[in-house]
Amino acid sequence: MTKRYVLVHDENKCIGCQACNVACRSENNVPESVTRLQVRIEGPYGNFPHLHFKYNRVSCEQCENAPCVKVCPTGAAYVNDDGIVSINEGKCVGCLYCVAACPYKVRFINPETRVPDKCDFCKESRLARGEEPACVSVCPTDALTFGDANDLNSEVRKLLDTKQNYQQKVNLGTEPRVYRIPSRRGGIKA
Amino acid sequence: MNNIWGSMEQYDPVVWNWIIAVYLFMAGLSAGSMLVAIGLKWYKQSRGLPTEGLPVIKAAAVIGPVAICLGMALLVLDLTKPFEFYHILLNYNLTSVMAWGVIALLVYIPLVFVFAALVFEKQVLHFAPWLAGVLKVCRQLEGSLNKLIFALALGVGVYTGFLLSAMISYPILNTAVLPALFLASAMSVGSAGNILVATLFFSKKESDCIEQVHRIEYPVAFNEALCLVLLFVGLNFSGPAAQAATAAITTGAWASVFWIGVVGLGLVVPVLASTLAPKAWRHTKGFLITVSCSTILGVLALRHFVVYAGQSYIS
Repeated sequence: MTKRYVLVHDENKCIGCQACNVACRSENNVPESVTRLQVRIEGPYGNFPHLHFKYNRVSCEQCENAPCVKVCPTGAAYVNDDGIVSINEGKCVGCLYCVAACPYKVRFINPETRVPDKCDFCKESRLARGEEPACVSVCPTDALTFGDANDLNSEVRKLLDTKQNYQQKVNLGTEPRVYRIPSRRGGIKA
Repeated sequence: MNNIWGSMEQYDPVVWNWIIAVYLFMAGLSAGSMLVAIGLKWYKQSRGLPTEGLPVIKAAAVIGPVAICLGMALLVLDLTKPFEFYHILLNYNLTSVMAWGVIALLVYIPLVFVFAALVFEKQVLHFAPWLAGVLKVCRQLEGSLNKLIFALALGVGVYTGFLLSAMISYPILNTAVLPALFLASAMSVGSAGNILVATLFFSKKESDCIEQVHRIEYPVAFNEALCLVLLFVGLNFSGPAAQAATAAITTGAWASVFWIGVVGLGLVVPVLASTLAPKAWRHTKGFLITVSCSTILGVLALRHFVVYAGQSYIS
């Protein structure tokens, strides 16, 4: 694998404005009834008066050990050289095994193509032109950072080396490439 | 209420629905009835008894091919691109349990038709005399073919379980017990199906070798019950998400399906019926039909319970 594209979501900077969600929909022509990207506003957490919300980005995690790729019977779900989990529409029969197997529940059937769809870091459009994914460039608070983690001088690398970060559901061994910088605020269940 | 981030509809964890549950049932029924019939045949042969024209084997020759074909039809119709299903026959990703299932079924399905043709040789030759040569060759290979069908039927029964257990984020599904549970319940639905069809269509005497099939019902029911206990006790020791999933048998609609359908109809009724029922009843048609229907419904309930409750709890 020559490139190792990762995305970092800083949950301290995120304000849950959904600009990323809208930009993604417009860039990738995502039909209205479905979505590739959501930022869910969860909470409130903590105890009064120290309440806060959590901003949970929900999109393809581009797992290094992707369950969707493992279960796909035809090889229509595959990982590219750039590490981006991709879909070969021609090989897909629509058995929904990948949709069911995804621990992050981010794959969905595109009502127009009848094929599973999901975030691909805008690889066909923006990435191919050398630009950042739509969600990253539109984010008003710079909560998102995208880049090649194999490049020692990349911004993502510096960020992940210096800031506390976590990935979701690491216990499942999927090795997601979406990293999250946790909110500094604390709290315990009331 | 509308979320600011949009509709949550596509995030429903239940992706595979009743069509898959019925397919898994049909595949189990076909595999189970083949295992029971071939097992019975070997049992009879080892004692030097005749195996020609046994009602239970005739029943399996009907159930085996019909159930698997109905199941495959459902499976293809459930694809989002049913007319492009042939891609699954051309491309194989061998890390996928489903690809292995396709390979097993590709060999299994034609062979169960051969099995059926050999059982109903006279009828087949009456309608298609041109098959005589092929059937003659098959008859000579019958011993090896039966071994192969038996092995493939085991494979089909187990694969239906692995198909679900490969989905790592569902605690109820992602266990090694599931394939064993599905195999055990395939055996029980297979023997019940064989008894039902044999009683309805092929039995001339009251107890035409249904006795031997009855004899395997106890160990099979015991194994099925054991697998269910292992499944839920195991969940209790496997971390918070798995523990939360044990709620599947205590709360909600699927808990009723579990206790009434899976445990009640599938295990308690058949076991009580064959231990407590008066001897005079045991080989009457009505009794056999009722008990085997109860077992069949129980296994159908099990497949639905596993598919729905299994997907409802995510880790």
